[in-house]
Amino acid sequence: MGELLRDDAELILAERRYQAIADILESTLTKGEGKWTYTDMFDHVFLHKALGIPIFLAMLWAVFQFTFSLSEPFMVMIGMIFGWLGGLAEELIANPHLASFVAGGIFDGLGSVLVFVPPIFMLFLALSLLEDSGYMARAAFVMDRIMYKLGLHGRSFIPMMIGFGCNIPAIMATRSIDNEKDRMITILVNPLISCGARLPVYVLIAGAVFGAKYAGTVIFSMYLLGMVLAIVMALVFRKTLFKGKPSPFVLELPAYVVPTAKTTILHMWERGKWFLVRAGTIIFGTVIVIWFLSVHPWAATAGGEMIGNSYIASLGHFLEPIVRPFGWDWMAAVALLFGFLAKEVVVGTYGILLGVEEGAVGASLVSLGLFTPLTGLAFMAFILIYVPCVATIGVVAKETNSYRWAAFVVVYLVALAFIVSGLIIGIGRLLGFS
Amino acid sequence: MPLAFLSEGEECDIVEVRGGRGLVQHLFDMGFTPSTRVRVLKSNPPGPMLVEIRDSRVALGKGITIKIIVNRSDGR
Amino acid sequence: MITVAIIGNPNVGKTELFNRLTGMKQHVGNWPGVTVEKKTGTFTYRGEEIRVVDLPGTYSLTAQAADELIARNYIVDEKPDVVVDIVDGTNLERNLYLTLLLLELEANVVIALNRWDMVKERGIVIEVDKLSELLGVPVVPTVAPTGEGAEVLKEVVMKAAKEKEVRRKIVMGYGEDVERPIGVVEDAVRKDASLSGRYPPRWLAIKVLERDGQVLKLVEESPHRAEIMAAVK
Repeated sequence: MGELLRDDAELILAERRYQAIADILESTLTKGEGKWTYTDMFDHVFLHKALGIPIFLAMLWAVFQFTFSLSEPFMVMIGMIFGWLGGLAEELIANPHLASFVAGGIFDGLGSVLVFVPPIFMLFLALSLLEDSGYMARAAFVMDRIMYKLGLHGRSFIPMMIGFGCNIPAIMATRSIDNEKDRMITILVNPLISCGARLPVYVLIAGAVFGAKYAGTVIFSMYLLGMVLAIVMALVFRKTLFKGKPSPFVLELPAYVVPTAKTTILHMWERGKWFLVRAGTIIFGTVIVIWFLSVHPWAATAGGEMIGNSYIASLGHFLEPIVRPFGWDWMAAVALLFGFLAKEVVVGTYGILLGVEEGAVGASLVSLGLFTPLTGLAFMAFILIYVPCVATIGVVAKETNSYRWAAFVVVYLVALAFIVSGLIIGIGRLLGFS
Repeated sequence: MPLAFLSEGEECDIVEVRGGRGLVQHLFDMGFTPSTRVRVLKSNPPGPMLVEIRDSRVALGKGITIKIIVNRSDGR
Repeated sequence: MITVAIIGNPNVGKTELFNRLTGMKQHVGNWPGVTVEKKTGTFTYRGEEIRVVDLPGTYSLTAQAADELIARNYIVDEKPDVVVDIVDGTNLERNLYLTLLLLELEANVVIALNRWDMVKERGIVIEVDKLSELLGVPVVPTVAPTGEGAEVLKEVVMKAAKEKEVRRKIVMGYGEDVERPIGVVEDAVRKDASLSGRYPPRWLAIKVLERDGQVLKLVEESPHRAEIMAAVK
């Protein structure tokens, strides 16, 4: 056959296809003006050498600000509704078992989870807007330089961003990374990106032990810690398990467009629904189990009045030695155990164990002396790091096509959690905190 | 010379694309074929480069811009 | 039931148009064996129900990227009645590349010329009829966000589905020097009746020349593999 195609068939065929297109367009297309006018203007700013990264960070800050300020009234409302429903159930239901189940199990437990629907959906709305408008690709561009140093490339950055909302859609978003090693690293470190489900725990603990004034800073430091750990682990994985250079970064930057409401909302829904699915299944089921264990044996606990005699307390006391060195008690042990299933459960668990409403959990934590600022900080770090929820582990297994990698994620995260929390406690004590 | 050496605002024509088969094929498919005109819009080494090619904009990582061999269009 | 696959480059408004056609009646699953999301939906046009499958957004149809392979396998194996190729009207040069690949696959292509509002806004002039004639496929201008053109698109898609067997197939020439080797390999491929019955022989020939991993594997299994590979030499 012809010499022509011997070495460069792909090249010649691609060239000829573009030639054919040029011939067709010659007689059918007259180019206009101004396609890139707006894009050039925006890119001048967003891709600016010095300003690109600060602008991106400002955007990120704005996203969080938007999310939390806009969703707060809704959160308060949902919390109130569930508190009221719980009270109503206790009053109206004659059977004490049933009343306890409905009020303590369903309304307290589920309510503590559903209050996080507004911020999570708002966060996804903001992220979808960034993505659909074309900005996310720019963020990948400005962050590529940093990501490259970490052994990843700009594309890995988008899943990280989505991870702030929920690790599940974030891990699914790694599909756009075509290099298998890059994708694996991105998946393995994604659970360290602090998802929306962990926020309630930070809000609870930080609010309780650091007070409203410092809570915000402490919470932000948790997000930062997560990112730093993700970076460190990405480097470690790149140097050990997935040696090599990151695959080349090629990404088309589309012209900016004004996103349409319908598409953005559908986009938000596709991601946010994971939270609802989990709330309705795993979280709900777990909360029911915790409630059951906390009010039985019924006689001994006097229908949940004396939780110290319940099954869950026995379980907690059994596990307590593991967490004792960190200064945490049996309730923390129980909360962490059930937090394996979903992080939001930690708050719900405290709600049930302390037998108080949403709003009063924090105050009880302090008045009972369960956490000091030091042990509280270590607890938050532990929550951040140890095992993402069961659903995320499931997605890791599915996306890596291997249960081994899912198991690996669990093991390395638990080990890392013990190390980091241990360091916090150790250093803190050396500095004279208790 | 490699595309990486060009600065912002410069134009060039592609001479050759080097690298692994998957990458080369991908770049061809995206229109990076020889004698195609490329304009450098942003370049902030060691970060990625933004180029205009075939009326679209493509970000190229550092690893790639050294593999795309070009000729400055003014012949230098 | 008529099945329509939707394909296009990334960032051309594909998801928007898919949503526009199917409304909220969507089902999300996974492609068999891989973990790439598969979205399907349905719409009804004049009493007939049409199934819409959203293929991954890609620039090309090589065997090297998971997304591209999924799209391509769907088209060659499942043979959807119509393939709607969504083309960004403001970026025809890049977008028509995929169109040519689809024509090579002998898909029953209908082009949705999207972002038509921006095309007009920017003073770009596209001679739609001529474009349609040169490519040999219907071209429908659309504006996904407003739904402009969606009804016409549905109508054209139905018509294309009905006229699938009698459609005019245009062969995009690669130039004589390249067509000769393609022809030689194609003749060799045609000797394997089962292979060339399953896949378009010309496409197989082009892919063999491009050393496409998946097609080479198919050839490997063919009783005529020696002849085909000799034709390449």
